[in-house]
Amino acid sequence: MKQIAIAAALGFALLGAPFSLQAATEGGSIASKVEELGKMSYLKVTDMRAVKRDGLLRIQVTISNTDTSNQQLYYRFRWLDDDGFTVWDEEPWKPEVIYGLQKKVIQAVSPTLKATDFRLELQSPKNEGAPFSGSNAPGGITNP
Amino acid sequence: MSLTRKPQVLLLPALLALTLSACQTTSPTAAGDGSVSYGDAKAVETVTTDLGSTDIQMIAEKMTQSLLQTPEIRNAIKKRELLMASPVKNKTSEYFDTRLITDTILTQLQKNGVKYVIEGEDMQNQVDELRRQNQSGLYNKSKSVKMGNMQGAKYRLDGSISSIVKKGANVKDVYYKMNLRLIEIETGVVEWSDEKEIRKSAKR
Repeated sequence: MKQIAIAAALGFALLGAPFSLQAATEGGSIASKVEELGKMSYLKVTDMRAVKRDGLLRIQVTISNTDTSNQQLYYRFRWLDDDGFTVWDEEPWKPEVIYGLQKKVIQAVSPTLKATDFRLELQSPKNEGAPFSGSNAPGGITNP
Repeated sequence: MSLTRKPQVLLLPALLALTLSACQTTSPTAAGDGSVSYGDAKAVETVTTDLGSTDIQMIAEKMTQSLLQTPEIRNAIKKRELLMASPVKNKTSEYFDTRLITDTILTQLQKNGVKYVIEGEDMQNQVDELRRQNQSGLYNKSKSVKMGNMQGAKYRLDGSISSIVKKGANVKDVYYKMNLRLIEIETGVVEWSDEKEIRKSAKR
């Protein structure tokens, strides 16, 4: 039921946009926008909104921590055009601490007017079967 | 002459080929002892609490995203109004070149159609070339640029980066704050400003 509400929220946000997101309206789900590097154990994307305003794509994502301890998150957006081509350089991975049971809202605005679609890359060091863990995470340059 | 009768004859070149191929590598790398490697330039760098690549990248990204939303920048793109970046003041206790930040911001804005003019260090090269073409007597007048046509910027970016460092017995905490402003040069009015805060902690 919760998932339906999320999908509805995303769908509504996209319908309300002056420019519809092609891939989003086809997929219409959070899963189609999120790329997790290994399934995250404690962090979940519980809400996602996208709207195109003044030619710029605005994204708001809510990440919920289901654990009682703090969780580290690394994320970045990939900006795409209608045809799925990337229209901006690779973004830097951004670190974010999410407190136990916190719902953190992450906002982003596309860095270019060409972006019509996006993907959100997420990685949390405490992933289930993560291809990255510890010092292999995107935050890989650590002091030995 | 049957192939099945002498399998050892066939096996020898096959083994030879296998041993030779084991020596080959398809990796396009030159000789090295493996102690040097290339990493991801966009990775989160947490070597020390000093200002690092991730901080610079995050600051520049936040400022560009914020600037792109301002009506002044949108107008500047439409009307080809010019921008420049004054040197950002480094008020932290560390040394680093603040042009790392402003250069990235200008480059990212430029990709969106914002035109900017050079200043400071780059100005000398510009003046040298203008003088060379006009005053050296070496150039054909019809094929050289004219003096007195350089354009001034309407807006300039200015700002500062500060830090507060706290050290406990077991922990070091650094708080960075970058402030950037967009100023209309003629009037001195600040049309836009934004901040980016970063906290870094390390166990000692």
